[in-house]
Amino acid sequence: MQRGGAVICAILIVLGPMWPAAGQGTVQLTHGKVVLAVINDQSGVYADIGGKHGVEAVKMAVEDFVKKYGPNAVGGPIEVLSADHQNKPDVGASKAAEFYDRNNANAVIDVPTSSVGIAIAHVAAQKHRLFLNVGAATKALTNEDCNKYTFHWAYDTYMLAHGTGTEVTKRIGKRWYVVYPNYAFGQDMNRSFSAAIQKAGGKVMLSDATPFPNETEDFSTFLIKARTLRPGGVTVLGAMQAGQDLTNLVKQFNEFGLRQQGINLAIGLLFLSDIHSLTPAALEGTIYTTAWEWNMDRQAREWSDRFFARDKTRPSYPVAGNYSATWQYLEAVRRTGTDDPDKIVAAFEGYKFNDFFVRNGEIRKQDHAVIHDAYLAQVKAPGDVKEPWDYVRILNTIPANEAFQPLSENTCHMAR
Amino acid sequence: MEIVLVQVFNGLISGAFYALLSLGLAVIFGMLRVVNFMHGALYMLGAFGAYLLGVQLGVSFWWALIVSPLAVAAVGFLLERTLLRRLYELNVLYNLLLTFGLTLVIQDAMRLRFGIQGVPYSIPPQLRGAVLIGFMFFPTYRLFVLGFSVLVCLGVWWLIERTRAGMIIRASTEHPVLTRALGVDVDRWIPLVFAFGVALAGLAGVLAAPMRNVSPLMGADLIITTFAIVVIGGMGSILGSVVTGFFVGVLSALGAVYYPPAANTLVFVLMAVVLLLRPSGLFGSPEAG
Amino acid sequence: MARKIGWAALLAAGLLLPLRVYPVLAADILAWALFATAFDIMLGYTGLLSFGQAAFFGGGAYTAGLLAQRLGVPYPLNALAAALATGLLALPLMGLAIRRRGIYFAMITLAFGQMVFYVVNEWRPLTGGENGVQGIPRQALAGFDISSSTAYYYAAFPLAVLGLLLCWRIVRSPFGRVLLAIRENDVRTQTLGYAVYRYKLLAAVLSCALSGLAGGIWVINHGFVALDAVHWTTSGLVVIMVLLGGMGTRLGPPAGAALVLLLRDFISTWTDAWGVVTGTIFIAVILVFRQGIVGTVERLLEARTRPGPETAAAVEEAASTHGG
Repeated sequence: MQRGGAVICAILIVLGPMWPAAGQGTVQLTHGKVVLAVINDQSGVYADIGGKHGVEAVKMAVEDFVKKYGPNAVGGPIEVLSADHQNKPDVGASKAAEFYDRNNANAVIDVPTSSVGIAIAHVAAQKHRLFLNVGAATKALTNEDCNKYTFHWAYDTYMLAHGTGTEVTKRIGKRWYVVYPNYAFGQDMNRSFSAAIQKAGGKVMLSDATPFPNETEDFSTFLIKARTLRPGGVTVLGAMQAGQDLTNLVKQFNEFGLRQQGINLAIGLLFLSDIHSLTPAALEGTIYTTAWEWNMDRQAREWSDRFFARDKTRPSYPVAGNYSATWQYLEAVRRTGTDDPDKIVAAFEGYKFNDFFVRNGEIRKQDHAVIHDAYLAQVKAPGDVKEPWDYVRILNTIPANEAFQPLSENTCHMAR
Repeated sequence: MEIVLVQVFNGLISGAFYALLSLGLAVIFGMLRVVNFMHGALYMLGAFGAYLLGVQLGVSFWWALIVSPLAVAAVGFLLERTLLRRLYELNVLYNLLLTFGLTLVIQDAMRLRFGIQGVPYSIPPQLRGAVLIGFMFFPTYRLFVLGFSVLVCLGVWWLIERTRAGMIIRASTEHPVLTRALGVDVDRWIPLVFAFGVALAGLAGVLAAPMRNVSPLMGADLIITTFAIVVIGGMGSILGSVVTGFFVGVLSALGAVYYPPAANTLVFVLMAVVLLLRPSGLFGSPEAG
Repeated sequence: MARKIGWAALLAAGLLLPLRVYPVLAADILAWALFATAFDIMLGYTGLLSFGQAAFFGGGAYTAGLLAQRLGVPYPLNALAAALATGLLALPLMGLAIRRRGIYFAMITLAFGQMVFYVVNEWRPLTGGENGVQGIPRQALAGFDISSSTAYYYAAFPLAVLGLLLCWRIVRSPFGRVLLAIRENDVRTQTLGYAVYRYKLLAAVLSCALSGLAGGIWVINHGFVALDAVHWTTSGLVVIMVLLGGMGTRLGPPAGAALVLLLRDFISTWTDAWGVVTGTIFIAVILVFRQGIVGTVERLLEARTRPGPETAAAVEEAASTHGG
C-alpha cells in the first residue's frame, strides 16, 4: 500500500511540472497536487448532520471549481480523501496526522465534535498545515485553542447562545434548567448559554452534564429532575445535546409529558436533519439560531437544488459550510499562486467575502473566526410546511458583528 | 422525599434489565461453567430482532416478545453446538475468550450493517402515555417493563425450584458426576440450558428496544456491569443475581441524583468491598476460587 | 550459532523498521510489543487472565502525558515515572483481584478496568474527560531533538528493548519457574511451601508497571491521549495479540503485537470491517491454534528435532498443557 502510493506520488511529482496547459506555471504546488481531507463522523451520533453528505459537498465544490476555471485551476489535480473520526479525539487526531504526513494533505476540512476539533487544531499547528473547521461548535477554537493554521468557519457556541439564549429568555421563560453532553462542546454551550441567559435577565437554576457518548440514551433521570426542581420550578429546559442524543431527548421529553406540565423546551443546536427525523410536529414553534437554511433566499436555494440533484437530501448548514470552505481555499490557492500554508493563511486573514453560504463575511485576522450574518429561526407547524424539508421560517437576521463574539472578549493569543 | 422515591422507581426499571441479564448469565454459568461474554451482544440481537420483525414483517411488539428471544435462543443453540462445545475439556477461560471473540464479531457485523447510531423502535400503541404516580407522570411503558421483568424472574425461579426440569438442572449444576451416575443424560440438557439463558438476554433486549437506543453497542458496557453484579451476588446463586441486579439499578439511580460523577463506579466499588469482606458473594456459597 | 544470527536479524529488523513502515506506526509497534510481553508475564507464565490491562497501559499513558504537558518532564523520565505510578496502582487493584482465581479473577479485572475508565472520564480537571489530554510536548532529556517521528522511534527503541529484556529476565529466572508452577497448579505450589499470593501479586505488579512504561512510550509518540486508551477494547486487544502471537513464548507477544497493528493499518485502508476480521482471527486462534503463531512454530521445530514415538508423545502432552 505504501509502496504503491509512493510510486504514484513520485510519478505525479515528476510529471506534475511537465503538464502542458494554458495558464500553467501560474500556480506552484508543493507536492504536485492539492489534497483535501474531510474528517467527520460517518457512522455515529452526528452522522446525519455531516457525514457522507459533508464529503459530497467538498467533492461538489472541487468539481464546480474545476468546471469554472478549467482542469489546471490550481496547477494540478485535486484529491479528496475522507475518514471517520468516530467522535473520538484520539482517532481524529491520528487520522489527521496520517493525512498530513502520509498523504501530504493541504487541509483538513469539517470535523464536527468539538473535542476532536480541538485535538486536530493542535495537530495542524504542530504540522503547519491548514485546518478549516466547519462542523464543531466550540469557540475554544478561536480562543484558548486558537492557532495560526486553524480557521473556524460556520458557527460557534457564542452565536448560538447569544441568539437563542437571549430570545428564549425574553420571549418564553426566565427560569432555566440546562442539560448538556459532557465534553468540550456541551461544556462550552453550558457556559455560553448561562452567560447569555443571565445577561437577558434570566436565571439558570441548575445545569447537569449528561454522559457522552450516552450508551443507554436514557435521559429519564434528568427529565424527572426538571419536573422536581425546587424552589419554584423551571419554565425552560435548555437542551444542549446534538444529533442522535437530541432526538432521543426530545422523544423522551414528550413521553414524560413535560410540556403539558409547564416546561418549555429550548434547543441549543438544531439542524435540519434533526427536524427531519423528529418531524415538525414534535418541535413545532421551537426558536433557535442558525447559520444558514437551504431555502432562506434564492441564492441558497439554487445551490441546494444542485446539491439535491447529487445527494437527494436537503443539506444541514455544516454541509453547506464544507462547500464554502473548500471553495474559498481553492480560490486562495489560485489567488496566491501557491499552496504554501503560510501564504494561504496570509491570504485568508482579513479577507472579506460573500458566497451562497456566508453573507457579509470576514475571516478575522485576530482569531481566525469566519464571521457572517446569522439568523433567528423557528420550526413551522406541520400545516405550514409547503414542500418536503420546508420546516423552518426565518424570523430575523443577526448582523455578523453582533452574531459573533466581540474581540474585546476574545482570549486568543494571536489577537494580542 | 418524593423525588427520591421517583428516582428509586426509575432505578428499579434499569435494575430490571440487570436482573434479567444476570439471571441468564448465572443460569448458564451454573450449568455449563461458561462465562458468557456474548450475553450483552445477544441482548442487542434481541433488540434488533424486535426491530427487524417490526420493520420487515410488520410483527407487533407483543409477538416480538416471544419470537425474538426464540430466535436468539436458536443462535445461542447453534453457537454452543458448533463452537463452545469444543472447549469444554479445557480450562474455562478459553470459553470466556471464545465468547469475547464472538462478541467482537457480532457487534462489528451489526455495526457494518446498521451503522453505529442505531435504529428507531417505538413504544407499542397499547403502552403509550403516562400514569400519574404521586406528583409525577411516569411513562406507562416503563411500568410495564418493571412488572413484566418481575414476572419473568418469578417464573424462572418457579421453573428451577418447582419443576422436574429445574430439579435436573440444579442437580447437574451442583453434582454433575453424581447426576450422571444416576442415569440423567446431563449432556442433552446443556445446549437447552444455554439457549434458555440467552433467550432471557434476548427478552431483555426486546424490552429495551422501545425505551433505549437500539444500536450495535447497546450491550457492550452493560455486560461488564452484569459481570460485577454476578460477582457481588455470588456466581452460583440465581436469587443473588436478581436481587443484586435490582439493587444496583437503584443504587446507580440514587447516585445519579446525589453525586452524578460516581453513579457509574458505585457498582465496582461495591464489588471491591464484597471481595474484601465476603469473596464468594453476598448470596453465594464458598467455593474454590 | 543459528540463534545468534536469528537475534541479530531481529535487531536489524527493529532498527530498520521506520524506513519500511510509517514511523508513528513503527513506534506504536514498539509500545504494544512491550505491553503484550509484559501482559504475558501474567497470562502465559502465571496463568492470570486479566481483562483490565487498559487501566495500566492507559493509566501509564495519561501519567506520562500529564507529566510532560503540565510539568515539562522530559522523555524518558515521564515514561519511567508512569511505570512507577502504574505499579503503585496495581498494588490495591491486583491485591484485591488475586483473592479470586481463574474466571472470577478475569471478571474482576474486567470490572476494575471499567472502574478506572469511569474514574478517568469523571476526573475532568485532570484528564479532560471526553476531550482527553492534548498538545503533549515531546522533549528529551539532555536536549536531544526527538520531534520528528523517526527520531522518536530511535529514542523509544532502546527503552522498549530494555523493557522486553526485563520481561524475559523475569520469566527466565527462578522466580519465573515458580510462576510456571503456579500456572500449572497453584494449590500444589502452595502446599510445597511457596507463598503463592505474594508471587502472583509481584508478577502482576511487575507486569502492570511495564505495561505503564509501554503506555508512556505510546503517548509521547502521539502527543495526545483520550479515553480509548483506558477502554476495555484496549484490554481485549492486548489479549488478542498475546494469543495470536503465542502465550508463554518470548517472541510470541511482540510478534502478535506487530501483526495485529500492521493488519489493522492494512485493513483500514480498504474496509471498515476491522472488528469482524480481528474477532474471526481470534476465534480461529482459540479453537485451533491455541499456541499462537510462535507457539505452533516452536512446537513444530521441537517435534522435528526429537525423533521417536515415546518422546514425541511426551512432547505432545507437554506442549498441550503448555497452552492450557
